Amino acid sequence: MCIEYITIAALFAVAIEVKPWNAVPSVTEETWKSLVLESDLPVMVEFWAPWCGPCRIVQPVIDELSKEFAGKLKVFKVNTDESATIASDYGVRSIPTVIIFKNGEKKEAIIGAVPKSTLTSSIEKFL
Amino acid sequence: MRKFSEQFCRKSDTYFCVDKSVTAVVIKGLAEHRETLGAPLCPCRYYEDKEAEAKQGFWNCPCVPMRERKECHCMLFLTPDNDFAGKDQTITLDEIREVTANV
Repeated sequence: MCIEYITIAALFAVAIEVKPWNAVPSVTEETWKSLVLESDLPVMVEFWAPWCGPCRIVQPVIDELSKEFAGKLKVFKVNTDESATIASDYGVRSIPTVIIFKNGEKKEAIIGAVPKSTLTSSIEKFL
Repeated sequence: MRKFSEQFCRKSDTYFCVDKSVTAVVIKGLAEHRETLGAPLCPCRYYEDKEAEAKQGFWNCPCVPMRERKECHCMLFLTPDNDFAGKDQTITLDEIREVTANV
């Protein structure tokens, strides 16, 4: 019994360790419509690419915001190398670009590694 | 691309990011593009046709905005007044390898 608890505790520890990488889930072309366009809540999407330096600055901020606005805002990320159609459809050029959607419509785009306060102000307009 | 970046930093009087992981990732991205496309296309943009963009040249590093106005949205070359500018114009191969190993 005790060993079982230790094993479960160890698994949770591993999950917590891994969690930060996956704090914000990815959305793909297959899930775009259901997760973003048909969402009841406003949605913030970060468009990123693996070799984009400024994306490394923005990602922890996006992670924090997804926790702070949990229940009020859904947050996803799109790898533009893997989901090129979405990036094309929404006119993404510079990366990182953060786009806020409400009722399936693009409401605002924020380009580059901006401060957290800039993103917070944009989010609050659509809650 | 590492040597090129260091030389261009000195030439343009700019500095690498205070967070060298940003610098390392961009240099690696430029190197990948040079290998696959034949030109160091900026890795901080989305292109519908990478081959055509690389051939066209506008976003090949150093891109036109960088050459004309010292604007590098990839944060590879930062002017001293930029909040993210560090004090270095050099980066080692080990620094690049360490950061990019798991990307």
